[in-house]
Amino acid sequence: MSGDYDVAIVGAGPAGGNAALAAAQHGLRVLLLDEQPAAGGQVWRAKSSAILAAPATEESTAGTSLRNRLAQSSVTHLSGARVWQMSQDDGWKLEVLQGGSSETYTAKKLVLATGAREYVQPVPGWTTPGVIGLAGATALFKQNLRAPGQRTVVCGTGPLVFYVASEIRRLGGTVAAVITPNARMDWACATPALLHRPALLARGALWVADLKLAGVPIYWQHAVTGVDGDTEVTAVEFAPLSHDWTPEASRVVIRADSLCLGNGLIPQIEAAQMLGVPLTHDAHLGGWVPRAAPDGVTDVAGLYLCGDGAGIRGAEAAVHQGTLTGLRIAADMGFDTSTARDSSRALWARAARFGRAMTALSIPRAGLARLSKDDTVVCRCEGITKAGITQEITHGAGSCNAVKSGLRAGMGPCGGKFCQTAVAQIICTETGQDVAQVAPPTARPPLCPVPLDAAAGAFDYHALPIPKPAPL
Amino acid sequence: MIRLVPNHASKIKRRDKVGFTFDGLRLEGRRGESLAAALLQAGHLNLRTAPFGDAPARGAFCHMGICQECAVRIEGRTVEACRTELTDGLVVERVS
Amino acid sequence: MSYDIAIIGGGIMGCATALRLAEGGMHPIVLDQGDLGQGASGVNAGTLSLQIKRVQLMPYALRGHDLWAQMGDAVGFHKSGGYTLAFNAREAELLTERQTLKAEAGAPIEFVSNAQLRRAAPNLTQNVVAASYCAEDGYANSSLTGQYYRGRLQDAGIAYRTHSPVTAIDKTTAFELATPQGTVRAKRLLLAAGAWLKPVAAMLGVDLPVQARVNTVSVTERMPPLMSSVIGHATGLLTMKQKANGTVLIGGGWQGRGTPQDGRGTVASDTLRPNLALAQYAVPSLGSARVLRSWTGFEANVPDFYPLAGALPHVAGAYVLGCVRGGYTIGPYISRLMGDFILGQEPELPLFDPGRAYTKEPT
Repeated sequence: MSGDYDVAIVGAGPAGGNAALAAAQHGLRVLLLDEQPAAGGQVWRAKSSAILAAPATEESTAGTSLRNRLAQSSVTHLSGARVWQMSQDDGWKLEVLQGGSSETYTAKKLVLATGAREYVQPVPGWTTPGVIGLAGATALFKQNLRAPGQRTVVCGTGPLVFYVASEIRRLGGTVAAVITPNARMDWACATPALLHRPALLARGALWVADLKLAGVPIYWQHAVTGVDGDTEVTAVEFAPLSHDWTPEASRVVIRADSLCLGNGLIPQIEAAQMLGVPLTHDAHLGGWVPRAAPDGVTDVAGLYLCGDGAGIRGAEAAVHQGTLTGLRIAADMGFDTSTARDSSRALWARAARFGRAMTALSIPRAGLARLSKDDTVVCRCEGITKAGITQEITHGAGSCNAVKSGLRAGMGPCGGKFCQTAVAQIICTETGQDVAQVAPPTARPPLCPVPLDAAAGAFDYHALPIPKPAPL
Repeated sequence: MIRLVPNHASKIKRRDKVGFTFDGLRLEGRRGESLAAALLQAGHLNLRTAPFGDAPARGAFCHMGICQECAVRIEGRTVEACRTELTDGLVVERVS
Repeated sequence: MSYDIAIIGGGIMGCATALRLAEGGMHPIVLDQGDLGQGASGVNAGTLSLQIKRVQLMPYALRGHDLWAQMGDAVGFHKSGGYTLAFNAREAELLTERQTLKAEAGAPIEFVSNAQLRRAAPNLTQNVVAASYCAEDGYANSSLTGQYYRGRLQDAGIAYRTHSPVTAIDKTTAFELATPQGTVRAKRLLLAAGAWLKPVAAMLGVDLPVQARVNTVSVTERMPPLMSSVIGHATGLLTMKQKANGTVLIGGGWQGRGTPQDGRGTVASDTLRPNLALAQYAVPSLGSARVLRSWTGFEANVPDFYPLAGALPHVAGAYVLGCVRGGYTIGPYISRLMGDFILGQEPELPLFDPGRAYTKEPT
């Protein structure tokens, strides 16, 4: 058992990092655990050690600032540390995989700041090498400063699609086309929220203007309908969408060697789910979210949530919610932080309104499901098609758990993280249920694949606590 | 041509090149970058075949260590290429 | 509409009894609080091993094996044979004593030499002191339980309702079961709610001495062939098999946490870790496999570790069926016996009176 802390925080992004700093400022012993080589989360992901020098970006600057503040703080930050199992007795016990072995850490309070992943609507050919997630592309940019290919199609919702296209150009790549299901009108509707963030509005406008100047075609209210190529991407096919995002009949094919594809961020809820935090569905927060107050408090004693893992509200909201959560924990441990919390809460509320407006651009509309064809692979890990899932549902499997049990959709190495949103969508289509009635499958540990020998740990056979034999 | 978003490619300074092998092929990448990025840069997007059907090709997808599509074998263990730092002489094999 | 019998619990026991009753001409309805086959029936390790069955239950287990073989591919049945291993002298003694008694009870168990074992299972540890083998042993895929019985119920035209927890039971001339989807009326009632038997029986004022075990199971990613038979441990605290797809399933009844009442079992690392260590000790090359999932299932347990199968004490027309220790293997068979009993026929083998004194073993 290693080190007993006041607070353990899972995830060192904007939320977790700031929660750590706020709690540490009050003298709490804080353990910050993150699987990446450096703090920053996905949005402020650090450059790899392969980069000796590179022009700064807003994201790199913000990340560097967080990393510097953490380095100067009393926070114990373990990088490359993957929490794979959590349990609660008097306090919290975390099993942490680091460098091929597993250590146990304990803490009185636990913060989950697990951030987001993305939803990618399955389309024919989306499993072809060269197709990567839209948010995944940003990880590649920030860490490795590499473009995803020589000639890339970028397709997705919200501001991310323009950011990714712009970054590809910044890194010297070529954007073949930008394709977004959003119409210009969707952005017009988001303008009131954007006007409260003029700097972000200006940045977005610059991305779009640059693409226009460069002659990169932008296809509004379109979506990728298929990818050509068996072992690598050779071309991308796309189509105009109706108002509800149903693909229309006409098709355009564009030559490309890579495709960045995404349909919005979704919260990483598995850790909260495992610990029994009730879930609610809120499309404006990215779908299923664990129930948590703005200051991170949950129904589970001693457990707090903050950042995109508690609902997609964006990096700025995550910063303030992280701070607020750290301050709340300090208050729960006897420090008066009420004034600071009031100001953090106000900042959070403002940022969260903006975040919700951005998330709204990615809320899947009814027609999006039609991008997946009967023979489209939905569960990448196990190769299960939409038709297979549809058949299982028509035979009576009415829940994500039932589909998982019967077909293995969600039992592969990713643990369902890239298919369950689509599975729920198919259940809705087939049974007429609302998406808010189709709960995600039961989350199972470990939180990430863990080598068996690391999980087992070093042991002496004769010292194994083998219980008495089963009754004869 | 006027660019509002500058091309920074020439301003990025990278560490020295190191050699590694992928499925016996000798390749080069930058020390410290992710193996997935090094393989991408070396033109290898097809990293494995999925263990079902007609063994379709797969490559890095999420780049965040979640999807497990970039799984490769190093020293007899399955690891995510996107979470593996490139080191000199790394011997990388396909999973299947 | 009134049914001949309402069955609370859509696991193996409830569904298989419903099928038997329908064959006998009754109109049953099966109610489950969740989906079919998602309790112990659907989350256990799927081991069909005579070597880990209790001596007195061997006749039931042997017949259970036959039924699983008949269900075949639809439930992922594989008769792989199974080895039970002892790693030290004390375990060897235990193995000899226990497997001899099981062989005498009718299980085709033999003791094998180290040389035989090495040939058959070259990836096993060199530290085996003694081993037994049973060619009848194997496994099925428990996650297919729900899918399988759903299809069988549909084919037989048997009514079932999922996500339909019974919240109250009223006994007048018939049973009236309150569910969120409305009241279900039936002449008879079978409680087949597994680890939830105690709260369900309590709705009829009956106290069943049922507690829940919280069994842990883990599965690895696909691996190259490591074992072709089911591997067990002399104490019964390890079961392991490699599925056709290469994944390795590791069980053995290590206890997680939680209760059926709070609805959530959780894996406990202080039992998961030695469970995995034992697996790695048995097959060292398993150490490099990545564990993808661990989970728990609630198994009903009573003080004497024998099934509950018969009339519910003090409530005319009500029955209870729950099988502790080996319920997956025995379930399809004991459900037939239960169905026959409810149909008024003499079961082929004796049932296990739920009203017995649990302090000593039934005779």
